[in-house]
Amino acid sequence: MRNLLALTVLLAPLCAGLQAQDLKAFEKRVTEFTLANGLHFIVLEKHDAPVVSFYTRVNAGSVDDQTGKTGIAHMFEHMAFKGTESIGSKNLALERKALANIERVYDQLEQARRQPKPDKAKIEELEKSLKDAIASADAHVESESFTRIMEDSGAAGLNASTGVDSTQYFVSFPANKLELWFRLEADRFRYPVFREFYKERDVVREEKRMRSESNPQGELIDAMLAASFQGHPYRTSPAGFASDIENYRVADAEAFRKKYYVPSNMVIAIAGDVDPKEVRALADRYFAPMPAAPVPAPVVTVEPKQNGERRVTIESQAQPMLLIGYKRPEATHKDDTVFDVLDGILAGGRTGMLYKELVEKRKIALAAATGSGFPGVKYPNLYIFFALPNAGKTVDEVEKAMYEIIEGVKAKPVDETTLKRVKTTVRAGLIRQLDSNAGMAQNMATFHAMFGDWRKLFESVEEIDKVTAADVQRVAKEYFVDKTKTVAYHVKPKAEAN
Amino acid sequence: MRTLILLTAAATLAAQPQAAPRAPLPPIKSLKYPPLKAVKIPEVTQFTLANGMRVFLLENRNLPVVSGFALIRTGNLFDPKDKIGLADMTGDVMRMGGTKSKTGEQLNEQLENIAASVESSIGESFGRVGFNALKENTDEVLGAFKDVLTAPEFREDKVELARTQNKSGIARRNDDAGGIARREFSDIVYGKDSPYGWDVEYETLDRITRNDLVAFHKRYFFPKNTLLAVQGDFDIPAMRAKLETLFADWTVEQPPVPEFPKVDEKPRPGLYVAAKNDVNQSNFRLGHFGGKLNDKDYPALEVMSSILAGSPFSSRIGQAIRVRGYAYDIGGDWGAAYDHPGLFVIGGGTKSDNTFKAIRTVQQELEKFMSAPPTAAELQSAKDKILNTFVFQFDSPAKTLSRLVTYEYYGYPKDFIFQYQKAVEAVTPAEVQRVAKQYIKPENLTYVVVGKPADFGEPLTALNLPVTNIDLTIKQPKAVTAKADAASLAKGKALLDKTRGAMGGAKLTGLKDMTLLMDVKIDAGGGQLAAKQKIQWVAPATMRQENELPFGKILSFYDGKGGWIKTPQGEAALSGPMLRQVEEQAFYNLYSLVASGGASANYLGDGTVEIGNGADLVAKLTVDEATGMPQKLVYRATAGPPIEVEQRYLEFKDVDGVKVASRSETYQGGKKFADSALIEGKVNSGLNAEELSKKP
Repeated sequence: MRNLLALTVLLAPLCAGLQAQDLKAFEKRVTEFTLANGLHFIVLEKHDAPVVSFYTRVNAGSVDDQTGKTGIAHMFEHMAFKGTESIGSKNLALERKALANIERVYDQLEQARRQPKPDKAKIEELEKSLKDAIASADAHVESESFTRIMEDSGAAGLNASTGVDSTQYFVSFPANKLELWFRLEADRFRYPVFREFYKERDVVREEKRMRSESNPQGELIDAMLAASFQGHPYRTSPAGFASDIENYRVADAEAFRKKYYVPSNMVIAIAGDVDPKEVRALADRYFAPMPAAPVPAPVVTVEPKQNGERRVTIESQAQPMLLIGYKRPEATHKDDTVFDVLDGILAGGRTGMLYKELVEKRKIALAAATGSGFPGVKYPNLYIFFALPNAGKTVDEVEKAMYEIIEGVKAKPVDETTLKRVKTTVRAGLIRQLDSNAGMAQNMATFHAMFGDWRKLFESVEEIDKVTAADVQRVAKEYFVDKTKTVAYHVKPKAEAN
Repeated sequence: MRTLILLTAAATLAAQPQAAPRAPLPPIKSLKYPPLKAVKIPEVTQFTLANGMRVFLLENRNLPVVSGFALIRTGNLFDPKDKIGLADMTGDVMRMGGTKSKTGEQLNEQLENIAASVESSIGESFGRVGFNALKENTDEVLGAFKDVLTAPEFREDKVELARTQNKSGIARRNDDAGGIARREFSDIVYGKDSPYGWDVEYETLDRITRNDLVAFHKRYFFPKNTLLAVQGDFDIPAMRAKLETLFADWTVEQPPVPEFPKVDEKPRPGLYVAAKNDVNQSNFRLGHFGGKLNDKDYPALEVMSSILAGSPFSSRIGQAIRVRGYAYDIGGDWGAAYDHPGLFVIGGGTKSDNTFKAIRTVQQELEKFMSAPPTAAELQSAKDKILNTFVFQFDSPAKTLSRLVTYEYYGYPKDFIFQYQKAVEAVTPAEVQRVAKQYIKPENLTYVVVGKPADFGEPLTALNLPVTNIDLTIKQPKAVTAKADAASLAKGKALLDKTRGAMGGAKLTGLKDMTLLMDVKIDAGGGQLAAKQKIQWVAPATMRQENELPFGKILSFYDGKGGWIKTPQGEAALSGPMLRQVEEQAFYNLYSLVASGGASANYLGDGTVEIGNGADLVAKLTVDEATGMPQKLVYRATAGPPIEVEQRYLEFKDVDGVKVASRSETYQGGKKFADSALIEGKVNSGLNAEELSKKP
């Protein structure tokens, strides 16, 4: 629960498509509106079963974390489950007082620690006071009330995730709980109370241990990103640095919310057995009062041009993983759909070149995959190859074989059968998703946020259909170059290298 | 009038506090929910084909697609003990290895060209072959589906691919601490000698042949043993006719498949610890046998486990652990399975330092939970969670179909889910306490902890449980040896005797100790790494190695049973793969190998003698048949991923009557790894084992 975007999600190709007539038929079931404060809603009607899926996408992710506060977008996402003014408190006035006291004591503690000659006794005393202050605030808490209300009311697939580009909250409910969802979702963003903050900070720290510190593959991905990006915040994973996590303060999460959790920076998609008129009325009641605020500034740092191959290694006892990344442009770039086709050619199913060559024919890899748009797609990013060498095979062997494949797509245009296969697969992929409330809510919100219109989900099929073998070859030649390449892999700890 | 209104409005405004007015949200309790529309339960058509295969059809026109699956009564529970992995490989190669008319690659192209799929697998207690097609390709894909199901070819190259892939899976299985905890917990509770608890190993995979796969498929894949479900955009009568024709020629018969093996429900309590020193988080699991889904008390147990550990946020244990900040990942389940006892388990991950505290917290919560009935609110909350999400069991027609087929497969009543719903509604707090007391047995709990013991905070001995260390060492395959007969063994022994004579005879066999100082140049991927190596050996099997490398010194000591290693990063007792490496090195030492002659020496031709240790180690020594002098020694190093190591002896030097290799080359996996040159060699200089064991 409340996880960071899993790798597979990050790597899922963004584009899929259908024919124009399918879009027309589909459009009849879609209603869109924007509240006066700028909050946009997309409603998809589907009346087969009395259920409904909700997807709230906030256009802020770990790229918006400040230096020293890495991971704060993720921390706020955790706090969004901790309750509100009206949910989770036994006595709000007393709780607020106690929470303010925690911050006051914590301020004093930080000041004491910052003295040139820290007074050890005083610090210890303040540390104890802080513990006591936290305990007395906790006495007012009805722990996990917010989540409990959701779960007891029939929430299915309740979760949230923080990625580099965005943060999303999703859940499905029986259709008769429509108003309950509005009541809760509006509340958590309008009137949150940052209770149990410092315990949740420990939970978040534990998540970091699980995902990267005790996970050799997570650790390698972190190292890969840090080597590939020197300036752009894609260099840091959404989990943030351990030491930053350990120093978060309530004010940090609150500042993040104030700046980014504003109506103009959010989009909500609702798919299922709902009446769009009722949705509109509820949106007006619950979300219209949310104060309008300007669209927050995007990241201005542009990653400096990479001018040479970079290599990074991680020592680990574990069996190795290999990552090779090339710089590629953002999702709104004209070459994006060409990358989608290229990706299908390289890594689609059992006919993708990586599987055929590395797994099936040469038997040197247990698995090999690609990611078009890593770690995010909003800004220029990486096209990434990864592979798990088979037992007894070396990273070196697999890396060399990978380059032979890459040089292959650069050297000659792909055959028409393969090109057609990839286009058919993309088309069928979207058809198969159309029946899923949760999947379509996610797709429509994401495409609206990325491209300004959910229709792009369907239109991209036309663009993909237009991609030629020459386009694919050009893009491979232009982007798969050593100069912008970063390679990362595990090596055995030196003491045991022999 | 007009002014009045304005005035009133002004007065109202003035009375408001300065802060922006807050639009209050209605209390949650005041919200009114309309009744939920009734779910539509789609109708499933059921019939049996002439060949005995039972079929379930569901028309679903939502999308222009058709999909389906066959369930076959088989499973890896039927693996022979010496060929664990057979069912799994059969499931993989059925699809990968192609059919009579098409290779696996041809199938891949054919299906993916039309965005279709056919996939096969065999799990613990069922085999499954599924397909998915766009409507217009239904016939073509059904054809491929039938071929994979009924006539797989199991081509040899894909048998090898499946073996390689499975071996890599074994090599990687100890890389993820959470995965280790899940596997070991389940293996230990079910018993490692049971088909429910044993693991696939290199040697069980090595014994599996294509013929085994063919036989496994033949035994279990026959119409009477198969259920077929198809759903999607079609007319029922048309699809029925299509299937009748398609499967008319599949008429093979086999005796009925026996019951799956029974679980030995003997409790296996205690604390089991797997040391994994490269993590800063411990994964723990505790629990014992659960039950079956059709147990009378299952609904009450499900409510119980929801209150106890269901939600990572609001359950008793979830709260106790998360509220203390001990874990991100925490949860539990009253494990129930369809046809055998599942696993009751509570588990999570916590930073190493909190290991003891987290486990203790779980124990305390368990004790508290069993001592009193849950509150009415807790009970209501647990029931609400189950009953309010019930509608999601029916939110797609495919779920109904899949549920019906599963019930049929395991012999459950068609309305099982509604029986369950009714029973959950009726559960009382007293019943929850009753089942908690009756079914949770703290004295029977098996505890598994995977982590770095040195950092556990409080040692886990404080739990007062018998401790067993879990050995994560991956079993290496027994060496495959060449065929031997009396003549080849006699010739092998004779040649080895000659070599022994050439290398010093009685001087060699009578060696008390030996010291070799060498210059070693290692080919380190592009650059060369220079090292000084000192090997000291004392009869019969004590060895000390010192390697001076540019980044520091590595020392190791081994006395025939155990030892230690010291590196710039610290020191450790030899264990796991490191111990294995040293054990292997001790056996493959040229001088002791030739002196002892091993347990067997088998002549293979061309000056090569295969020398075995009588167990799982074997080396091939090639000598000059004229002089008897060694030329090369080849063996498989198996401490890591298995790799072939070859020592080539270029030059020997006499050291007090013993011939010592003065120039040699080492190859690994066919690639040059190092050159060694002897600086100084000494024999019988009075070394003793105790001296060698001293740490600097």
